[in-house]
Amino acid sequence: MTDILIETLDLAKRFGDKVAVDKVNLQVRAGEIFGFLGPNGAGKTTTIKMIVGLLQPTSGAVRVAGHDVQTEPLAAKAASGFVPDAPNLYTKLSARELLHFVGELYDVEPVMVERRIEELLRLFDLTAAADDLIDSYSHGMRQKVSLAAALVHDPRVLVLDEPTVGLDPKSARLIKDLLRQLAQRGAAVFLSTHILEIAERMCDRIGIINRGALVAVGTMDELRAMGQGTSSLEDIFLSLTGGAEYAAIAQVLQ
Amino acid sequence: MSRAAASRVSVASSTCKLLWLRVRIWASVLRHATLRRKIGTLVVAALFVALLAAAFTGSWALLSFLRSPELAQVVDLTLVLEALPTIILTGSFLTILVTSFGVLLQSLYLARDMDFLMAAPIPVRAVFISKLIQAILPNFTLLCLFSLPVLFGLGASSGYHVLFYPLVILLLVCMTLAAAGLSAVLVMGVVRLVPARRVAEALAAVGAAASLICSQSGNFTRNMTFDAGQTTQLMRLLSRANAPWSPFAWAGRGLIGLGTGQGASAALGLGLTLVLALAIFAVTLRASEVLYHTGWSQMQAGTQRRPRARPQAAPRTTAARRPALPPLLPRAVSALIVKDALVLRRDLRNLSQLMTPLILGIVYAIMLARSAGQVDPGRGEAPQWFMHSASQMRAYGNIGIALFIGWIMLSRLGMMAFSHEGRAYWLIKTAPVTPVRLMLAKALAAYVPTLVIGEVFLAMASLLQRAGAGVMLFGMPVVALAVAGAVGVNLSFGVAGANLEWEDPRHMVRGSVGCIGSFAGMAYMALAAAFFIGPAVLVPSLGGSVGLGQAIGLVMGGVLALVCALLPPYLMLGRVRRIGEGG
Repeated sequence: MTDILIETLDLAKRFGDKVAVDKVNLQVRAGEIFGFLGPNGAGKTTTIKMIVGLLQPTSGAVRVAGHDVQTEPLAAKAASGFVPDAPNLYTKLSARELLHFVGELYDVEPVMVERRIEELLRLFDLTAAADDLIDSYSHGMRQKVSLAAALVHDPRVLVLDEPTVGLDPKSARLIKDLLRQLAQRGAAVFLSTHILEIAERMCDRIGIINRGALVAVGTMDELRAMGQGTSSLEDIFLSLTGGAEYAAIAQVLQ
Repeated sequence: MSRAAASRVSVASSTCKLLWLRVRIWASVLRHATLRRKIGTLVVAALFVALLAAAFTGSWALLSFLRSPELAQVVDLTLVLEALPTIILTGSFLTILVTSFGVLLQSLYLARDMDFLMAAPIPVRAVFISKLIQAILPNFTLLCLFSLPVLFGLGASSGYHVLFYPLVILLLVCMTLAAAGLSAVLVMGVVRLVPARRVAEALAAVGAAASLICSQSGNFTRNMTFDAGQTTQLMRLLSRANAPWSPFAWAGRGLIGLGTGQGASAALGLGLTLVLALAIFAVTLRASEVLYHTGWSQMQAGTQRRPRARPQAAPRTTAARRPALPPLLPRAVSALIVKDALVLRRDLRNLSQLMTPLILGIVYAIMLARSAGQVDPGRGEAPQWFMHSASQMRAYGNIGIALFIGWIMLSRLGMMAFSHEGRAYWLIKTAPVTPVRLMLAKALAAYVPTLVIGEVFLAMASLLQRAGAGVMLFGMPVVALAVAGAVGVNLSFGVAGANLEWEDPRHMVRGSVGCIGSFAGMAYMALAAAFFIGPAVLVPSLGGSVGLGQAIGLVMGGVLALVCALLPPYLMLGRVRRIGEGG
């Protein structure tokens, strides 16, 4: 059995004339945390949406846990969990009801669902508010419910789009620890973020996308080697995505 | 800008700036709108002016007639006509007070620009005044459509002084501002007790029920008769609005005084009212801005639920609270049905949409019962066979009501089954659920409640109509089958026109698909009623037995219903996979 849990093959997406994602090829292995970086509008979220089956690619393919997302969507989706950038949830359900609903959608054993829900509520410090409607939750609490929903069925692949936005430092730390634990247990974690420090510290490998094309993939050392002596991820990122000139302008303004 | 400099910025110029900004936004939206929309806006504006002119002419003519000496010999309307400005002003004030509540709630608490405006270097008062004006302007414009023509008509028919007309406008503006100010304080108070979003939901439900009851009350008043005594009593009641202690009467009497050239009476009445209205506006404006700015209104007062003490050993499980569903359904399907039921039940805005069929059903059932199953023979010239068929059709009125209710319910439960997922649809789309199961869940979530309510109404209408057991027994499968077909039609259009980007449930289905879907749902129900009931009416008219007619109807209608229940959803399965992908 292959240990590649996420694989994109010439993945492309066009919206009319605009090319959002242009023949992206990447692989994420079991036990790996993969950081996906790029400037605003580079194609990160579009790529992620194609990986989790929210968008149909214009061409190319995505394989999740060995299953093609287009031709075997059920098997691919059953293996993956997704945390979107905005925690849009059913606000008229309580966290407990929502997690139960997700557990049933993924056909998790009822006893297991109950156990997982209690564990996750406790883990994310949501037990006290578990029976309140999500309507009354703060952004951070919704983000935590969203993450808990992605973990109810214990996925082998976890895809997260900006997971730490709106979280307090304690919750952000919890998520980082959790992702590391998941990877150690053999899951593949695909994570998009704008916080380069998170990517640098947490990710085993990093992919940088710019204007729809994957411009660099590798470990931090490999990226440093590509970056002609630049040492920090920020410098590498700016040199690859064309933002270095802004840093120079900022210096002049100072 | 420094704080001192900011404080120097005048309220008036800031208010003008904010209002001008709104005008520019409106103009920009219009400039970038499609040609069709631009033409539509012009047509609406022209219609508004035409309506205003027509209402003015009509009022003028009517009031001239009511003032005629010929009519005065029959009935004396002097008191009512003198009270007319007071009645109109009272009505306008109360209308603005009630209708402003919802728009101010939206404008102050649910619109997302308040934080931006409050943080800007603009006086808070300017923000509030501009918000109040923006909020009440649409309702005030509509109000003017009704009140101005009547008051101007009164002036024209009575030959009032020319100053009467600008003073009418000034009074309406001042009283509207006072009403809006009071409404703003009321909003602050209510929002302190109940969260704004919840208030908006409740308001939508109450508003929908009230407007429906008002619209349907015509069906009852149509059958009412007023005798001369009751009419006189009504006139006396109306003229009582002109009581001297009422500030509205001061204004009304002042206007009449101005019109008839009684300067002292006019100055006193109008002056008092204007001062009072402006004082109310100033006090309420100050109060509301202080209450808002200090955060008083946002502090929830004793309505927060305290954390409930739960026994550690027995954590609440969702499964224990959920209604049991047949185990033959896949778990994902039952989960979707339960989720839909919970979400629909808890969002009062959805309930407001579902209340319509219930109220309409009750109204029509009562009307059917009042007619006692008899067909109005008119002048008695209709042929016998026609009267017989009409009578037979009337006998199936209970089924008609049940189908009508089913149609309206499904235009919400079926047509918006996918749209009502909103932005949370990603949870379903990323889950391993097949389109067939998703469609099945949505169909059952729409079918079961519609069937239950349809059958209940059938039974209720049958009892009220004193229909025979045969008609009711025939009606039960008819309703079950026809509703199933309607679910298929509505659900399919709902898939085609699914819109997940909405804030207000009333905007779930939009565009031509929603419009065509509504017509298609209605056309299907009419066709199904014809297929089911047609043979049951025609066969006995042609000499056959009622049972044979009903059996033929069940077969014909049943085939149509089953085809519509299965075929359109099957054809839409491919599109279910693409919901939420845009383009």
